[in-house]
Amino acid sequence: MAIENKKGWIFWFNPLKYSSDKWLYALHRLTGIALGLYLMAHVFETSRILDGPITWNSTMVFLDWPFGVHFGPYILSGILLAATFHALNGLRLTITESGLLMPKPYRIEYPYKAKSLRGWNMVLKILLGIFMIIISIFGIVYIFTGVIL
Amino acid sequence: MELMLKGFGEVVKTVTLRVRRYDPEKKELPKYMEYKVPVQRGMTVLDGILYIKEHIDPSLAARYSCRMGICGSCAMIINNRERLACQTQILDLGKDLIKVDPMGNYDLVKDLVPDLTKLFRNHESIKPYIIRQEEKVTGEFLQLPEERELYSMFTECIMCGACLSACPTMATDELYLGPQALAQSFRYIADSRDIGFNERLNLLDSKHGVWRCHFAGACSDVCPKGIDPALAIQLLKGMLAKNVFVKYQQKPAKIGPDRKSILETAQS
Ligand code: SF4
Ligand code: FES
Repeated sequence: MAIENKKGWIFWFNPLKYSSDKWLYALHRLTGIALGLYLMAHVFETSRILDGPITWNSTMVFLDWPFGVHFGPYILSGILLAATFHALNGLRLTITESGLLMPKPYRIEYPYKAKSLRGWNMVLKILLGIFMIIISIFGIVYIFTGVIL
Repeated sequence: MELMLKGFGEVVKTVTLRVRRYDPEKKELPKYMEYKVPVQRGMTVLDGILYIKEHIDPSLAARYSCRMGICGSCAMIINNRERLACQTQILDLGKDLIKVDPMGNYDLVKDLVPDLTKLFRNHESIKPYIIRQEEKVTGEFLQLPEERELYSMFTECIMCGACLSACPTMATDELYLGPQALAQSFRYIADSRDIGFNERLNLLDSKHGVWRCHFAGACSDVCPKGIDPALAIQLLKGMLAKNVFVKYQQKPAKIGPDRKSILETAQS
């Protein structure tokens, strides 16, 4: 009797040994889930204002200093990074998945290198990296110090 | 000549093959077994498996046929990546421990043998043949070499199924058509002799069709024949999106002269 041998959802997050696109795919899923959870928490958090200013203020303080540790800026930085990555990679996927900037079918040559993962797609991936670095530097400095670079 | 054969047949080192075993007759979960295999220069993983069968454990099951990367029988997961066992040199892997798993996303028949029924059914479902309107075709369909270039890379598929095993969508969506079938549907749609775009449209545009692909690129990455299924799928998506606004036009290629009549006129 044959048994099922599906890789399951855990495989979404296993890009080891595959190309950079699979890494981005895994990160995209991860940040997507994280942002979805954050959105729900965020709606709940802002709804606290309905209970009046005292509850609101204590919620704010708790989120900035959860359990007596100044952890708020780290959470915010995480959200910023996740949102930036998800948005930029989403743009890249919108472009490439519409078949734009994709190469024409080409002749296969040894050693095999899939051109759909290279060429313009690689340019977009590098741009994604550059933007990520710039935005995270500006954003994180702002979050921690309040200074706009 | 002597120089070329130097070191031929010499055991270079011994590696351990850690193979996932599953016996359908025993009610046991798959488990790993380790085998020590002496490696000669030029030995592939498939040779290693055959060595185990011959010298250590004849009950090990694997599927293979051509031993030269043509039949597509021997795809398996070697060191966590889909490869053809007959095209993977043990020495090239550069490891002393080689993990051999059967391909995922398929049912498992025995040891390293996956049940590829899904692959073949999906391939069948996208109508992998030229669709024409004519009742009876009298001559050849004419096609220019440039027109052939538009799809020729996808004709190279050996149906090994490695792309389905590497696909993260396939890992959770049982009914997804898979990179192989989608690439083949592109191959026929892009063929200038074919007019079957609308016939295949419903299947491609369905819940388990092209839109399930999120471009992880794993299929193109692992394909042992260098085919780029991910490219075909993205181009298909573009076609389908454009088709909403401007209907996709397929002009059937002209039919060449009737061969029989040519022969007859030549003879008379
Ligand atoms: S597209 Fe490549 S990996 Fe997929 S079945 Fe064909 S040859 Fe194998
Ligand atoms: S045995 Fe035919 S492809 Fe490996």
